[in-house]
Amino acid sequence: MNTREAKEILLLYRGRIDDSDPQFHAALDYAKGDPELGKWLQEQTKCYDLIRAKLRGFEPPLGLSEKIVRRRPIPFPRDWSRIGQLAATILISASVTMLLMKWSERRHLAVAGAQEILVTGEVLDMTCYIAYNFSGLDHAECARVCIKNGAPVGIKAQDGKVYLLTGQPGESVNAQLADYAAKTVTIKGRQSMRDGFAQLQVEEIRKL
Amino acid sequence: MSADLEFENLVKLYYGDLYRFGLSLTGSEADAADLTQETFYIWANKGHQLQKAASVKAWLFTTLHREFLKSCRRRNRFSNELIDERTEDFSNVPADCAERVDSQTLLRILGEIAEDFRAPLVLYYMEDLSYKEIADVLALPLGTVQSRIARAKIHLLHRLSETNLPLDHSK
Repeated sequence: MNTREAKEILLLYRGRIDDSDPQFHAALDYAKGDPELGKWLQEQTKCYDLIRAKLRGFEPPLGLSEKIVRRRPIPFPRDWSRIGQLAATILISASVTMLLMKWSERRHLAVAGAQEILVTGEVLDMTCYIAYNFSGLDHAECARVCIKNGAPVGIKAQDGKVYLLTGQPGESVNAQLADYAAKTVTIKGRQSMRDGFAQLQVEEIRKL
Repeated sequence: MSADLEFENLVKLYYGDLYRFGLSLTGSEADAADLTQETFYIWANKGHQLQKAASVKAWLFTTLHREFLKSCRRRNRFSNELIDERTEDFSNVPADCAERVDSQTLLRILGEIAEDFRAPLVLYYMEDLSYKEIADVLALPLGTVQSRIARAKIHLLHRLSETNLPLDHSK
C-alpha cells in the first residue's frame, strides 16, 4: 500500500463509527507510520466532525412530535372478530354508497339549479374545526396538511356561516385549497343545502 | 406496552433524525416536516409488517427517502448538477473548508448535489450507520454507496472551499 491508496481508503473513514470496519484497518496501520498522512487524516476527521455537527444542529419545529402522535391513524385491527366487524362495516358502506349513487343524480341536478354566490372567509379544515374548534393562524399548518391529505374542506364566511366546499361531481378541490388553509379567500360557487348542511360547489377561488 | 405508547416512544426516538434527514434532502423546513409526518403515518399503517424490531430505524429512513423521491417525481424536481471532474482528485481535498461555512450555506450546497449522490452523503455525515446499513436504507449495492459517498464528499468539500472567503476578505 502507498500513501495515495491509503488516502483513497481513508477518505471515507469517520473515526469512532468506522473503527470496527475491517476495510480501514490496513490503511489506518499505514497512517501510523506516515506522519504526513496521519496529519491529513486528522484534518479530514476534524472536517467530518464539523460538517456532521452543523447538519445535526438543525432542530425540528416545536410541536412536530406532538402533531405526529396526535395525527396517528387508527391501526388496522388484526383479530378476526374485528376483521368481521370491518367486513360488516364495508358491506354497510357499500350499500350506503349504492344509495348515494342513486341519489347523486338528483343531487347533481339540485346543485346545477342552485344559486351562484360569492363567499369571503377563512378556509377551514372541517374535521379539526367541527371536532375540536381549531381554526385561525395557530392551526394553519395542521389545516394545510389535513386538507392536502384529503380531509373535508370548508369556508367560514364573515357572517359566521360555514359551508362545506365541494368540486364538480367526482372532483376534489383539496389540492387547490390546501395552500389557502386558514387564509381569507373569496370563492364563487353554487350554494345548496342538504339536511341542514350548507355546501358550496366551487367554481372559482380568489385570494385576497 | 400499549400500541399508543409504543408509537409515541418511537416518534420521540426518531423524529429529530428523520426531520434532519428530510431537511438535508429537501432544503425546506416545511417539506422536511411533511416528509417526517408522512413517514410515521406510513409506519402506523404498515409498521406491523416489519419482522425485525432492530430494523425499525433503517425502515423509517428508507421510507422517508422513498417518499422524498416520490415527491421529486411528482414535482419533476430533480437536481441537474453533476458531480464535477475533480472527484478523482482525492489527494488534494481541502479539509479546512467547513469551519467558516454556516449551516444554511452547507444546506444550500447539499441541495445542489444530484439526489443519487446527496442521500448517501447525508446519511454518511448525519447518522451512525455503517456503510452496509446505508446501502440497505437506499437499496443500493455497498460498492455503489461507497463510490457515491466518496465522489459526493470530494465535490462537497471543493464547493465549500469555493464558497469560503479567505479570512482577510471576509472582514
